[in-house]
Amino acid sequence: MTEITVPAARAQPVDRTRAKRKAAWRRRRLVLLLMAPWLIGFSVFFGYPLVMSVYLSFTHYDLLSSPKWIGTANYRYLFTQDSQVGGAVKNTLWIIAVMVPLQVIFAFGVATMLARARRGVGFFRTIFYLPALAPPVAATLAFVYILNPATGPVNILLQHLGIDGPLWFQSPGWSKPSLTILGLWGVGNIMIIFLAAVLDVPRHLYESAELDGAGPFQRMRWVTLPTISPVILFSVVIGVIAGLQYFTQAYVAANVASGQASQAGDQTVNNLGYPEASTLFYPVLLYQHGFRYFNMGYASAMSVMLLLVAFTVTVLIIRNSRRWVHYVGAAK
Amino acid sequence: MSSATVPAATALTRRKPPAAVRRRRFLLAVANHSLLIVAAIAFLAPFVFIALTALMTNSQALSSHIWPHPFRWQNFVDVFHQAPIWRWALNTMIYACLATLGVLVSSIPVAYALSRIRWRGRNVAFGLVLIALMLPPVVSVVPLYVMWAKLGLVGGLGPLIIPNWFGDAFSIFLLRQFFMTIPEEYLDAARVDGCGELRILGTVVLRLAKPAIAAVALFSFLYTFNDFFLPLLYTRENPSSWVLQIGLSEFRSLHQVQWNLTMAATLLVMAPVIIVFFLAQKAFVEGVTLTGVKG
Amino acid sequence: MRRVGIGLLVALVLGAAVIAATARTTANAGTSAAKAKNITIWVGWSAAELKAFKGVVAEYDRKHSDVTVKVVGGINDDKITAAIRSGKVPDVVSSFTSANVGSYCNSGAWIDLKPFLSKDKIDVNMFPKTSQYYTQYKGKRCALPLLADVYGFYYNKKMFKAAGLTSPPKTMSQLTAYAKKLTKKNSDGSIKVAGYNPFLGFYAGNAPDLSAYAPLFGAKYVDGGGKSMISRDPAWNRMMKWQKSLVDWYGYKKLQKFNAGAADEFSASHAFEIGKLAMMIDGEWRVAFIGREHPSLDYGTAPAPVDDAHPELYGAGYVNGTIIGIPKGVKNKDEAWALVKYLTTDSHALAIFSNGVRNVPTTKASLSSKDIKPDAHFKTFLKIFANPNSKTTPITAAGNAYGSLIQAFAVKYQAGHGGDLSGGLKKLDKQIDAQLKQAQAGGVP
Repeated sequence: MTEITVPAARAQPVDRTRAKRKAAWRRRRLVLLLMAPWLIGFSVFFGYPLVMSVYLSFTHYDLLSSPKWIGTANYRYLFTQDSQVGGAVKNTLWIIAVMVPLQVIFAFGVATMLARARRGVGFFRTIFYLPALAPPVAATLAFVYILNPATGPVNILLQHLGIDGPLWFQSPGWSKPSLTILGLWGVGNIMIIFLAAVLDVPRHLYESAELDGAGPFQRMRWVTLPTISPVILFSVVIGVIAGLQYFTQAYVAANVASGQASQAGDQTVNNLGYPEASTLFYPVLLYQHGFRYFNMGYASAMSVMLLLVAFTVTVLIIRNSRRWVHYVGAAK
Repeated sequence: MSSATVPAATALTRRKPPAAVRRRRFLLAVANHSLLIVAAIAFLAPFVFIALTALMTNSQALSSHIWPHPFRWQNFVDVFHQAPIWRWALNTMIYACLATLGVLVSSIPVAYALSRIRWRGRNVAFGLVLIALMLPPVVSVVPLYVMWAKLGLVGGLGPLIIPNWFGDAFSIFLLRQFFMTIPEEYLDAARVDGCGELRILGTVVLRLAKPAIAAVALFSFLYTFNDFFLPLLYTRENPSSWVLQIGLSEFRSLHQVQWNLTMAATLLVMAPVIIVFFLAQKAFVEGVTLTGVKG
Repeated sequence: MRRVGIGLLVALVLGAAVIAATARTTANAGTSAAKAKNITIWVGWSAAELKAFKGVVAEYDRKHSDVTVKVVGGINDDKITAAIRSGKVPDVVSSFTSANVGSYCNSGAWIDLKPFLSKDKIDVNMFPKTSQYYTQYKGKRCALPLLADVYGFYYNKKMFKAAGLTSPPKTMSQLTAYAKKLTKKNSDGSIKVAGYNPFLGFYAGNAPDLSAYAPLFGAKYVDGGGKSMISRDPAWNRMMKWQKSLVDWYGYKKLQKFNAGAADEFSASHAFEIGKLAMMIDGEWRVAFIGREHPSLDYGTAPAPVDDAHPELYGAGYVNGTIIGIPKGVKNKDEAWALVKYLTTDSHALAIFSNGVRNVPTTKASLSSKDIKPDAHFKTFLKIFANPNSKTTPITAAGNAYGSLIQAFAVKYQAGHGGDLSGGLKKLDKQIDAQLKQAQAGGVP
């Protein structure tokens, strides 16, 4: 790109190639300078942990003495004998299969409503976006309080309506739905993206559909959804990746809901997954093994498996997306 | 469909649709608005409950009353006496500001190199950036923790801040997408004037990419302000390094702390982000849209 | 070009400042000065209790002018492990989690204290048997006990009088009968006053891994060969059946709602302290809390009731404690040992400290020391501590990981999702054995 033009009209080949090579060299040096921080970052904070994780997964390592090679023992325990892994995997799958789709659908629904509204769009948009800004810790704390089975406003309101409210975060059957409600409260980010996409759908597509006799639902099915399908794909992929790492809300909810006052350092009671391991998601279990029990070799084995699953699922989704995602014009 | 208007290009003035259609459209709009209002109430309700509880006395917070009686504004002061909120806030600001600065300083050059300079291996590098984007950070925690422990930095904010000075995949991605939309003419004009590439980056590109850079800065700040997992890993055993999120999650477990104070603390932790949002609303929404539509 | 260069420079300077600032927050190791030696001790106590500890250390400082001791409070096991791992260790460490002594001794993280003990001719039998047990692992003694926690029974005398009860229950069936008598309900059926709340996880006395109940039923965790025997010891069966039957009598959901509405365990509105709970099992520290927050409460303390099949166990209770040791990599070993010896064996020091935090002193001599501030309630716990049937949970190389497995099953069983009890306990044994094997990486201790 940065070329030195030869002033003389007659080309001097040798000078020109040398000049070109010099320019190329300078360009390479520039690129190296610009990319340097990322190159270091990638190798140290991405490449190294990846390799080390694989190595550590074949060792027994407790951070107090050097790693001891034990071959595939960790993986054998992970697949056959760890009684908590099955539940953890199921819980994480629940998030991906239930919470993520609900979030996407709900965000889309709210965005559609907003797109149709004439007045006060900015006002409503702000209200719907605000909860997404709330720090996850604060939001979780708030919801555990609001959904307190005895004194929380929700159950009190239900009581006035004559309904015996569920135990929400105290019940193993209701804890994940409670987390889902928390998740739905925070769909502001995705909703804004959907809103922009829905507003971007060209008018004339709707009009021609209307002419062809399509009702409102058919218009949505055949015009809106296909046009915004890249955004749907984006939200699904983001949602799945986030679901595979779901940690903070689960940790805080279990901690607070179990009501145990833990003095600094008193770890004789393990609250992770409260109640009855219903909020024990895969990353939470990984944290427990790696940073409560300091069973770091085993935690590494767990993280290697998570990486494989994340990679596979993402590839599958993207591959599958070719069938239903339409890229209209220059939208991508 | 009764009398449909012809959607010709010349139909700037349309015949008013018949009363039946107009009425139906009006009713639909009303229904839509009602739903919106219900949804808005549902979204706002949690905030209201938090605020109400934050103003209650402790025994009231444990009872089934919804409305505080009396209003205990004192709670917001008590929160500061019960817990070292200022220290937590200071730690949070150190973490968020230094991390955001690091993200900008390290990601802008990388994004520029990946978008405006042709070089061999550029696509491979970008592919690696994308792969890094997909990596759940949970996967790399164990070896990184070991590394920081060996360096003696566990317990402080170092392991949280330092990685941000070496590029952030998401920011690189966002900036690169934006940089690609800058017309080459601007850069060529600068080149003709004799500017070196770095000068171009520092002056022309930075100025043109202000919205994207603002969005990246905002997102970085928001992300690090809300971050819980990494501070939990590295500073849980060192209360003097706690950030607001960690402090808030441990708030209840300090001796004799009650729900009303906890909710007051929750409000205080939520406040800065919401205030920043209102001040920078446009940049926020633009940034979010940037990620989705260009992503 | 120049602007970017300056930017990078600023970044580097900031980065260096950050690293310096963050490295500062890790604690100092002991440095040997020319005149007085400085040693550092890490403890878990904080706030008022830390003050009491610092008082004891100050006395030590006065008696030993050649050493200055720096006290750092609020420590937990994660920090200890991180420090040992990074090589920047304090000279003495102490932990609340006696269950971790197995991993500390096994991995050599805390050094063996036997040479010091024999050099100073200290007989470990000066410590009660239980405290001896939770400060060593497979014969390797890497810790000594520093104050213990004992669990006993608290009951509201006023409510007892009103119900015509004169003395605290001695057996589980008596406890159940009293609990039913003392429970009061609201008009809508919810629990107003609970006679005894057996819900796992409700306050410390109901440790969800059943550890507080195990000594009361004489339940054994492992057999002679080190294998988990929960399914083979009928005591576990009886214990869990009793616990579930009482929960079912109250109603699982009703108890949940009661718990959700109960105040925080360490707040001044503790359910027992404000009269919402008639009887409970709790640690000895509660005496100090009640004295501070509700001095007018008319209550009594006694050993907890025991299994009807084993009345001879009456007087026993669950014990665990704080342990103290010297981490690997310490240079001033002799000074560190001198401090450890003083804190753990000097009756006067133990008594003073016990007064301060109202935990149980951990030598046989200090239990009867005149320095202990007399308190009728607290005396009960001293007696329980001295009882030969008072036990702690087994020490393993994996800390208390097995407790989580027991907890997972017990909590499910309590909720009615556990299925067949004997089958469930058999599976639990298998899980515990597998987990222990995995934690020991092949089984070599």
